[in-house]
Amino acid sequence: MTTENSTSAETSTIDQTTADLLVVGAAVPPEEFDALLANLAVAFPVETVVIARQDQQVANAPANLRMIAAPQSSAAWMLKPADFVNAYEIAREQRTRAILMLGSEAHSLKPQALRELADAALSGTIDLVVPRYTLPPHTGLINSAILYPLTRALFATRTRFPLTIDLAFSTRMAERLATVGKRFAAANQVDAIVWPVNEAAVAGFAMDEVDVGTRSVPQPSDPDMNTILALVTGSLFADIETKAAFWQRPRRLPPVRRPVPETPLADGTADIARMVEAFRLANANLQEIWSLVLPPNSLLALKRISVLDAQSFHMPENLWARIVFDFVIAYKLRTINRGHLMGALIPLYLAWVASHLNVTASGASSEHHIEAVAAAFEADKPYLVARWRWPDRFGS
Amino acid sequence: MQNFIASIAQASQLALAPPAYVDDGSIWHHISDALNQSLYRVLTLLIAVLPGILAFFVALAVFTLCGMLISWLLRRCLSWIKFDQRLARMSGDGWTPSSPPTEIVARASFWLCVLLGLIIGVSAFDASYATGTALPISLLPYVTHVVGAVFLLIAGIVIARFLARSVLISAVNAQLQYARFLSLGVKWLVLVLTAAMALDHLEVGGKIVELAFGILFGGIVLTLTLAVGLGSRDLVSRSLESRVERTGEHSPIAHTASSSSEQIRHF
Repeated sequence: MTTENSTSAETSTIDQTTADLLVVGAAVPPEEFDALLANLAVAFPVETVVIARQDQQVANAPANLRMIAAPQSSAAWMLKPADFVNAYEIAREQRTRAILMLGSEAHSLKPQALRELADAALSGTIDLVVPRYTLPPHTGLINSAILYPLTRALFATRTRFPLTIDLAFSTRMAERLATVGKRFAAANQVDAIVWPVNEAAVAGFAMDEVDVGTRSVPQPSDPDMNTILALVTGSLFADIETKAAFWQRPRRLPPVRRPVPETPLADGTADIARMVEAFRLANANLQEIWSLVLPPNSLLALKRISVLDAQSFHMPENLWARIVFDFVIAYKLRTINRGHLMGALIPLYLAWVASHLNVTASGASSEHHIEAVAAAFEADKPYLVARWRWPDRFGS
Repeated sequence: MQNFIASIAQASQLALAPPAYVDDGSIWHHISDALNQSLYRVLTLLIAVLPGILAFFVALAVFTLCGMLISWLLRRCLSWIKFDQRLARMSGDGWTPSSPPTEIVARASFWLCVLLGLIIGVSAFDASYATGTALPISLLPYVTHVVGAVFLLIAGIVIARFLARSVLISAVNAQLQYARFLSLGVKWLVLVLTAAMALDHLEVGGKIVELAFGILFGGIVLTLTLAVGLGSRDLVSRSLESRVERTGEHSPIAHTASSSSEQIRHF
């Protein structure tokens, strides 16, 4: 609330002329911001663009790029609810037609990518534009293992990167995101990060993906896997719980509009054996906790794969889908402490990563395997719906 | 009351009358006296305790009834002011309990009253016993202590279970081979501590409990220290090395989120 007031006070002194686009960036070092500014100047040579930044003193900024003061951004790693609230307040005052929100290390995005994101949002037909990055192999694995398949299966959207680093959206979408952002702030859920795509799906707003090529993906400052997995996955699980009334109804997935991209093959030096070993250790020690969450047939399947060699280790896609669904149910029911629940998911996730690496090492495309995983989630959605409604019905 | 006891004693005296062929000063007379006195003592004790028990049950019943009434009133009032909807609007999506908030408040108020009745009943029982008789029955005032000790035990078991799970999951994720052993150690540490506290609360054992607790607690800590210290030398040295390297490179941000390999990025 304080930040909103300060935003209003600061921006009230600026001429309120209409602009085409508002660009809101994360707090970045000056040299990165200069590089981003240069890219924006190339991307928007004639359009009036308002750039909101904490420190508005920038030398040699092109005339069409107007700098305004913005409240302190919390988007050190990912976009958070408060960022959407602030962005909407500024956009309303500046009367912009669309908003482009850029995360950390956005200077690595090409001018063409920035242009395409903005064009889609300015077109007036699309409310939320989500970038589709071309990432190196074995990058963004939590996204591939959990976030993308779950979002696709439940919210019927093909958005490949629901964990939003950059976004472009219309003012209508901005208003919606700001409203929900305020609700998150009031509920002290300031760390909610996986929700804008789901929100657009629930609101029935038009969404589109834009290929933006390569991008340097910001990494969390805290390298602890326990904390980060709990933050990211917990955010999605909480959003799934909130939007249960929406996703329980069957929905048709939009048709495929672009072919599955071919990712370069990895050289296969990833440490699969260590991940499999971590899974085996967990399988030997965490049975007591897993048995509270997973049905007996899943436990039996895990026991079977735990004896496989690291080279031939494979976790079936349907088993992984069912494990994630059971964890979603346990999150909702609070079967065990949620921190413990997320901790117990880590070795299973590592097992999936090992399996995925083996699949890609065998010559199969990484994206094809991820699509197969997502398809398994879709196929098993009735199981989730059934257990959500009747949680006591343990097992298939 | 005394008349009542005397009449019962007289009746029992008649029932235990010696056979006619025995003299007055015979053994039957002494047995009869001894039994009369025992019966008198038991009945006196029972009568001394009865008001306390009655007070306990009355207090419990009254507070249970009050709880039911308060719970019913709360349920009606909260439904009338649309408490559930208001709370949902205020808290957003943050708190979604399995039962409606109105129901939770009503149930909580009921059980709070029952608990209050239990505490007041036990206090009344204790007070009534202490003032009502001078006979030494060392176990009865213990009820209050026993209740406290039971609460201590329950809290201890819950905490022990929570900590054991936390340690087990953290140790497994840190890939410590002795994760289960560590978790068991923590669990028993807390359980031993709880048991010692409960016994101390019950004033049982005195110094023996303190001594036994010290030995057990120290033993478990020493065992864990040795096991962890000897078992995780490599882990600690690796951790220190990586910290030194990171400090040397002046890069506080890790670029891979605890990945098992340098090529893997989880985000």
